[in-house]
Amino acid sequence: MTALTLPPLSLAARRRRVLGVVRRDFAALRRSSVRMFEILFWPTVELALWGFLTVFLQTQRVPFVASFLIGAVLLWQVLQKASNEISIAFLEDVWSRNLLNVQVSPLSSGEYLTGLMLFALGKVVLAITVMAGLALLFYGFGVTSLGVGLVPFMGVLLMFGWSLGLVGISAVLRFGENAQVIAWSLVFVAQPLAGIFYPVSVLPAPLQTVAWLMPASHVFEGMRTVLSGGPVPWERLAWASGLNVVYLAATLGLFAWALGYARRHGRLSRFGE
Amino acid sequence: MPLLDAIRLVKRFGTVTAVDGLSLSVAEGEVVGLLGLNGAGKSTTLHMLLGLITPDAGQIRVFGLDLARHRTEVLSQVNFAASYVDLPGVLLVREVLDAFAMLYALRRPKARVAELIELFDLGPLSERRVMDLSSGQRTRVQLAKALLNAPRLLVLDEPTANLDPDAGDRIRGLLSRAAEENGSAMLITSHNMREVERMCHRIHFMAGGRIVASGSAAELAGRYGAEDLEEVFLKVARG
Repeated sequence: MTALTLPPLSLAARRRRVLGVVRRDFAALRRSSVRMFEILFWPTVELALWGFLTVFLQTQRVPFVASFLIGAVLLWQVLQKASNEISIAFLEDVWSRNLLNVQVSPLSSGEYLTGLMLFALGKVVLAITVMAGLALLFYGFGVTSLGVGLVPFMGVLLMFGWSLGLVGISAVLRFGENAQVIAWSLVFVAQPLAGIFYPVSVLPAPLQTVAWLMPASHVFEGMRTVLSGGPVPWERLAWASGLNVVYLAATLGLFAWALGYARRHGRLSRFGE
Repeated sequence: MPLLDAIRLVKRFGTVTAVDGLSLSVAEGEVVGLLGLNGAGKSTTLHMLLGLITPDAGQIRVFGLDLARHRTEVLSQVNFAASYVDLPGVLLVREVLDAFAMLYALRRPKARVAELIELFDLGPLSERRVMDLSSGQRTRVQLAKALLNAPRLLVLDEPTANLDPDAGDRIRGLLSRAAEENGSAMLITSHNMREVERMCHRIHFMAGGRIVASGSAAELAGRYGAEDLEEVFLKVARG
């Protein structure tokens, strides 16, 4: 080891490498007006769509807690952004033909993924801050109406989003760049099943079983309970957290396997071509 | 003990054997060239030595450590540049170097980045986005990145392939100077025989995934009764 670098296995070196990933991705975000615009644009479009629908339903005197939809849009953004942002941050390395530079650096897979997850967390916070402000301004919906459940709700969705993002990255490593559509769209497969805009009970029985295996379903059901004036359903959150731990461990294993596959079959090298 | 010791490496992709029992070593401060036709197995070999491709058989020891088991320790003292790899285009040159300085866990990243910006004459470009640079300018940034950690082993895959002769010549001069200052060993592939003659202490010719001839440029020319390395290349390539 040269005196120029920190001891490679030291905590200080690991922290510096992780922060290097986070800092790089935020610098890229800052330099990309399209990606900055996107933080505001899609959440605003979704909020407008579901917000106006809520206003319409209120005028029709639908027996319905109107804030369900706006709360759901806000929490859905946490899940969607957590999933898409780590996939996109990885794909940015592929698109810019920089992945080989990253892979031959001393950055470990764990450090790389931690960096991507922290970056995704930062972007979620930015997007939710913007959306929460707009929801309050236009529809009078305050995120604080989710009470003390807000943080654990968001935490569960964040973790589940990371797991979905890892599946997308693993698919690209396993099948090549053509699989990037999976990285983009996987989270949308969860949308109809997770009871985001309607209770899980409206799903056919077999799909309800699938829905209850998704941590997100427990969050959205819990959100409706809280917004109806009920207590935070901690037992649901505990179950969702347990599922999350299992899924995150499984998808980290999947990522490690896909990376090993890519190395054995020379796929990493092809990302540089 | 050699800095890099690759022993009987084998890599197959389906029915194609890309590397077939290759052994290779690089000593401290030595510059080794790897030559061969396209598809000879040069890049596959380099990628195995960097941990990008897992060999089917054989062993890779770098600085006396098994690469597969000590990846982070090894790669913190190695670096790489290639004509087919790029850097994040949206970032400024300075930001790219700052980011990689952190990925290599430099103790004083800002000071080292400033040194390399000066060495590679990147000052006027440091606030420009990588995507707005010419090929030659991007190569300079790539090489500055490759020297950030003053690597004990620098792996270069056709580093000057996209450059005109003038830019190529400047880059070779800069590389030789920087490597001399750092005491870095280098492993280089190139199709530019003059580049290899000028830079390499030892040269290996590859064909069909094997090393078929080795020696200094002068030794190889003598052995094949050739005037220069280009003639050696043609004789080896054409059997």
